[in-house]
Amino acid sequence: MNDAQTLAVQVAAIEQVTPLIKHFTLKSVDGGPLPAFSGGSHIIVVMRGNLRTHRNPYSLLSAPHRLDAYEIGVRRMEESRGGSHFMHDQVKVGTRLEIAHPVNLFGLDKIARKHLLIAGGIGITPFLAQIEDLRGTSVPYELHYAVRSAEHAAFLPRLREREGERVHLYYDSEDQAIDFAGLLSEQPLGTHVYVCGPAGLIKRVVDTAHAYGWPGSHIHWEQFSAPPVGDAFDVFLSRTNITVHVPHDRSLLESIEGAGVEVPYLCRGGVCGFCQTAVLELDGELLHNDHFLSDAEKARAKSIMPCVSRARCKSLVLDL
Amino acid sequence: MSAVFKTDETFRDDFTFRNSPEAIRRFPLPFPEDRYMYSVNMEPHGPGPAGSVTQFAFDVDEHYVAECRERALVLAEDGLRFQALPHMMSSQWDCLELIMESFARDYPSHFSLNKHGNEWHWINRPLNVDQKFVFGDASTLPLQPLDYIGRQAQGDFVVMDQREGDLWIEAGMVTAQADWSLDFDIGMTFKEWHGPVPLAHEMNVFDRALKYLLNLRLGQPVRRLNWTMTVHPRLDTSPENYPHWGRDRSSVTAQNAGDLVHLRVELQGLWRLPRSNAILFGIRCYLISVRELATIPKWARRVHRVLAGLHPALVEYKGLARYRDAVVEWLAPYDDGSPTSSGTSPE
Amino acid sequence: MSVNKSKPVYTPLQADTSGRFHLMLGLAEGAAALHRVIDELQAVAPDSLGRTRVLLSNTAEPFQDLGLAAVHVFEDTTALLADFHATLERSLMGTRLYVAGPEHFIGRTLQIALAFNLNKDEIRTEHCGTHARRVHCVHCRATTEDVRTNIVRCSGCCRWLAVRDHYSRRLAAYMGVMADAEAAGELPPVQEVYP
Repeated sequence: MNDAQTLAVQVAAIEQVTPLIKHFTLKSVDGGPLPAFSGGSHIIVVMRGNLRTHRNPYSLLSAPHRLDAYEIGVRRMEESRGGSHFMHDQVKVGTRLEIAHPVNLFGLDKIARKHLLIAGGIGITPFLAQIEDLRGTSVPYELHYAVRSAEHAAFLPRLREREGERVHLYYDSEDQAIDFAGLLSEQPLGTHVYVCGPAGLIKRVVDTAHAYGWPGSHIHWEQFSAPPVGDAFDVFLSRTNITVHVPHDRSLLESIEGAGVEVPYLCRGGVCGFCQTAVLELDGELLHNDHFLSDAEKARAKSIMPCVSRARCKSLVLDL
Repeated sequence: MSAVFKTDETFRDDFTFRNSPEAIRRFPLPFPEDRYMYSVNMEPHGPGPAGSVTQFAFDVDEHYVAECRERALVLAEDGLRFQALPHMMSSQWDCLELIMESFARDYPSHFSLNKHGNEWHWINRPLNVDQKFVFGDASTLPLQPLDYIGRQAQGDFVVMDQREGDLWIEAGMVTAQADWSLDFDIGMTFKEWHGPVPLAHEMNVFDRALKYLLNLRLGQPVRRLNWTMTVHPRLDTSPENYPHWGRDRSSVTAQNAGDLVHLRVELQGLWRLPRSNAILFGIRCYLISVRELATIPKWARRVHRVLAGLHPALVEYKGLARYRDAVVEWLAPYDDGSPTSSGTSPE
Repeated sequence: MSVNKSKPVYTPLQADTSGRFHLMLGLAEGAAALHRVIDELQAVAPDSLGRTRVLLSNTAEPFQDLGLAAVHVFEDTTALLADFHATLERSLMGTRLYVAGPEHFIGRTLQIALAFNLNKDEIRTEHCGTHARRVHCVHCRATTEDVRTNIVRCSGCCRWLAVRDHYSRRLAAYMGVMADAEAAGELPPVQEVYP
């Protein structure tokens, strides 16, 4: 995707749903319907600040059949490179934003015999949309939602009211923890597990599922973490013939975009492989932070995912 | 595109199908050069030149009414030419929405779509359809959504679910196919479905196509062309009915090849669907007799050369073995050896 | 002539120690292949034998005294497949399925496995015994069993069918298409090609 295909939206409402999370309602600037989407989809929100442009992915939490508005939840990140702070501090009702068409990299498996949904903190957002999709089917599902405390459980009233028994809440403050082993060792054939939240939660679920014999194709995860920061470095783009400086707190992709060069992207999180770029020359080492390239490909250092990966080098030339 | 529909054309029995001069000129010739080999050849499905087959998302041409009637005949004989696995219902609604919205937007004199929330009112003037229904409620339509709208559109439609890093053929309206069976293939993956295609697998054509399609985005459809040949302007060249049309292949001579043999081109469009995240694969079929083709001198020379030099495995797989030579012989007088410009335009 | 990519590919069975439960089905000569896998499990993951269940038919291959969760020998394939279906209803995530035997047996077990959303990551198959095919006539939709020749008379419509390599997992059969549609009576010599 590139910025040419964005939709123009306006913030119609903002609600502080927990001390850290704000709930935004976005409507189309022209008043028309927004595209329908499948639960688990995310949009990229383009935020044009004074100093820099942020492009952050946020899961759509609104009901997928609702076409008059999109809803997203944004957690204020403590160590932010600015995106979540921009959303919390600069964006007001009436602010105009550009968003990309929804993309789904975290879809429900349509022939699963059961869905096991596990959310941590802000990770609840994609599941809110997915349970709307599931409501129309007869496939059994459970939602397990871990948060610091009741105060931090975003959208709790909505969940309780609509889901009742199918939602299991776990408050860290009351020493309640998800029994991963118990949960994952007792599921019937054909169950799929989906997890969204902090890296630690994802790792626990994925590792435990594997330990109990789940094949990877039945384990789904999504994580929206900021691209890792690192030492600043320079990169030369061979086709555009320019040198781009990558500051410590901007990703390679953002720096290249800041120089006016477009790179195709989809997830901006190192998962989908869409921004894969050929490395033509390297004097140093690549710091691969993606989940797409194989270990062998990473070692060969002929490709890089600029959305999350960096380099420590004297020189780096990319085929852009 | 001409607003006059040829309502009495037939694609069976007496085969009265013919192309008007306008239809001939807008025909999507799939040969930009004098020789042909497979490629992934996908390009963005954006608006093409005015009057061309790619001007709109779904092309409606002079054969619209006749093709819809032919489709109804095929379905009456064999209801399994439309199938949809149970989990594909949301994708059926996605297809209905896409086709209705496109038709109403692009051909407002023929189609109207009015919505009040989920209460939709669809009018199809050429086919005399006036239908009110509730979008998302299958009980308010006389047929399943893809069956309903598929009968009002030209070309075949296949819907592929995306899961486990693959695409699965799990719904379709297929009555104008070039020799593949929906009933046999439903449930297959993308590569299994294309199993019988020779050479292409070794060329990694399908690996690359699959990777490309898995990343297909909402709002950014793609298209490509595919082709084969058919004896008589017969749309239903299904394996199911092969006992009826197979013998046609043995009836071609160097004298009748110009009238009997038709170039059959598929304009394939691929759309990401919103609610289901599935992919719609539209296969729009265009037929032109060799004689009609030869009315355009450049095309006569081009097609003569492409057919003469076609890889034997493709001749075999595309079912041309019995009559390829007859067509080449029929076209030979039109080819004086002069150069043809690259590209597919008539000049 | 390139190979049809829908044609199933079978490989000698190997234990999948990433699985927690092992469900094994064997018909006739397939039992020996299962025995090999069990020996492998015994060597590398002996604890898993207690979570391994074996369903057999048409064999006298001994499986006792290995600490397996269960070994059942059924009098025919129908009984075996019925028990298989009932077993899957009780099975949990973490199960791996191993099937060994002639292709028609593998095809029918996979049809059942499909209904439980078991996918290729959870299933291993080894072909043993006859290569005879099940053929689905695309014209009358009848299935002709035990086909060993390149062309065969359809059990439904009696047309001569060319047996193709295009295979449907849903139907557990190869495609059969009228062999002399283009020139009536023009048939290749009958040859046994699937012994």
